[in-house]
Amino acid sequence: MTDFREEVCALLCEDAVRAEIAQSRRMPYGQESGLLDVHRRLGKLGWLAINWPERYGGSGATIVEKAIVTEEMIRHGVPENVHSLGVDIVGNAINLMGTDEQKERYLPGLARGETTANVLFSEPDVGSDLGSLGARAEPDGDGYRLTGRKIYNMKAQHSDFALCAARTSTGPVNYAGITLFLVPLHSLGTVIEPVWNLSEERFDLITLDGIRIGREDVLGEVDDGWQVLNRVLPFERTGLDHSAKAERTLAALREHAPPGCEERLDRLETRVRAARLLAWRCIANLHEGKPDEIHSATAKWYTSETAKEVSVAAVELLGPRALLDARDPDAIADGVFDAVFREAPGLTLAQGSSEIMLYFVATSKLGLPS
Amino acid sequence: MTTTIAEFFEGDLAPLVRRMADRPRGEGGDTDDDRRETRAMVWEGLVGLGALDGSDAVGLAELLGSVLYQGPLLDTLTARELFPDLGPAPVALAEGSCSDQDDTVTARCDFVGFAAEVEHFAVVGGARSALVRAGHPSITTRRHEETGRGELYRVDFDGTPVTAWAGPLDWAGAQVRQAAYLVGLAQAALDHAVDHAKTRRQFGRAIGANQALSFRLAEMSMRVDAARLLVHDPGTAAHAAATLAETADLARTVTTRTMQIHGAAGMRSDDDAQLYYRRAAAESVRLPQPRG
Repeated sequence: MTDFREEVCALLCEDAVRAEIAQSRRMPYGQESGLLDVHRRLGKLGWLAINWPERYGGSGATIVEKAIVTEEMIRHGVPENVHSLGVDIVGNAINLMGTDEQKERYLPGLARGETTANVLFSEPDVGSDLGSLGARAEPDGDGYRLTGRKIYNMKAQHSDFALCAARTSTGPVNYAGITLFLVPLHSLGTVIEPVWNLSEERFDLITLDGIRIGREDVLGEVDDGWQVLNRVLPFERTGLDHSAKAERTLAALREHAPPGCEERLDRLETRVRAARLLAWRCIANLHEGKPDEIHSATAKWYTSETAKEVSVAAVELLGPRALLDARDPDAIADGVFDAVFREAPGLTLAQGSSEIMLYFVATSKLGLPS
Repeated sequence: MTTTIAEFFEGDLAPLVRRMADRPRGEGGDTDDDRRETRAMVWEGLVGLGALDGSDAVGLAELLGSVLYQGPLLDTLTARELFPDLGPAPVALAEGSCSDQDDTVTARCDFVGFAAEVEHFAVVGGARSALVRAGHPSITTRRHEETGRGELYRVDFDGTPVTAWAGPLDWAGAQVRQAAYLVGLAQAALDHAVDHAKTRRQFGRAIGANQALSFRLAEMSMRVDAARLLVHDPGTAAHAAATLAETADLARTVTTRTMQIHGAAGMRSDDDAQLYYRRAAAESVRLPQPRG
């Protein structure tokens, strides 16, 4: 296993790869990178989605090898959202729950690093409370007409399709009647508007104006989207991405912190080590086929809060130098501290907010009244 | 005077002031000239209302933080402690060591505010402080690309003639005023979070009805309250630096939590939550203070 990690590191440390990563972080304001050559390199080796079957572009390896690839990509600064959205979330959901036809259609391109996808769950008035979503899929012949507005998703400009949650029926239980669809993103009836924000990557407001989708585009069963999500969420909520990010930031912080900060850095390092252990406990659970929702919630909360803490500590300890972004000629550590500081608020919101994780642990682990 | 200035900032001017030194990131919008005009107008208004008189400077600084004022006023107040004969001209503080070998300054100074629109620089931080006139050909400026996206510059002085000398700067006054500014900023961010918690509904009720949020907001309110008392009773010079460090932590904490309460909507460029968050980062690391 160590050998495999070393092989991945060797590729990610190549000069051309490092130069591409650095370049992707210095793009002009308003532009952002999509899939890079490094994604295609990893894809060609069958490593990008290494745990998928070979016929779909993977290598038939386990979730452990996949976690190694993800961890090293983030440690080496490869922009991760385009990969995590396409492979780790949407592709993984298709791999777990899709039909053979859907797998044939979507997975090889994702695994080769040639296509990517995004996630259309949140709406202007619906965030954590997914049961209240307003997007609707009305029956239309042998398919559906999908109407709704989705926001706070990313990478639409680079994505070919999306995983979209919409209501297909109503009933007394909010979470019933939601269906997940695989929808094209660049078709007539779909309007994509950028929503500029704090981070380096834009959000998009996507209006779906009665676009036609077929029954073959349903992921899982109709009205059963909540169950699909529950099956997929443990893979999304390992916290490995956040712990790797915290490690990378802390390593840079150690390099640049002034004398006198050692105790604080040591305490942060202990937190980061604990975060990584929690993340790898989730990977081990998945590897054994025993996902644990409480472990997932614990890992998601702890790792994201730790990554945020490290990003804020960097500003405090380094002072103004931490604020220079990658485009400033005097930036330190390629502007990583500015980037992670602007990204930090999203870490404890996306993939289930910290409040949702705390509520889940309070009620499900501790048995406190809901 | 502070009451009159508070009235000046009320109404339509408030949102303009909050963003008068915030450069959009790739999304177009107002030009730099528009914002520079707003800053010039606000400067004239503040000077006209007696902001340079020096009375209740701590209260004024808190007010400026609460409206997220961005401009050279606080630096100018500090410079006037060193150079009391300065007229009503904007000054930027530039931290760097002055050689006392001759009557010129050669120094590299980072994170100098509003360098492109002040009339003087006060080069401080060494055994002597120097006043130099902006615009001299020996001075080069370059705006930083930074988190706050404000008007912070790298300024290089290369044998720049000194127009006046003064002794070393006693940072205490500037530190307390900056601390007061951060208290005002934290209060404004907190108000923004409370408004959102009262109106944003999830799971069938206002999110502020959840004790996890309401208690967090109450805790922040109490910390802001305590910090406000601190800045108006700063104690010794050592206390001034510690007070600044405390309010810096407060501003970062309040704005980070404000972001969390706002959810993804708070990250949008058109939402003030992210503006408070970025400004708190930039303002909380200004001036010497204990770190770690």
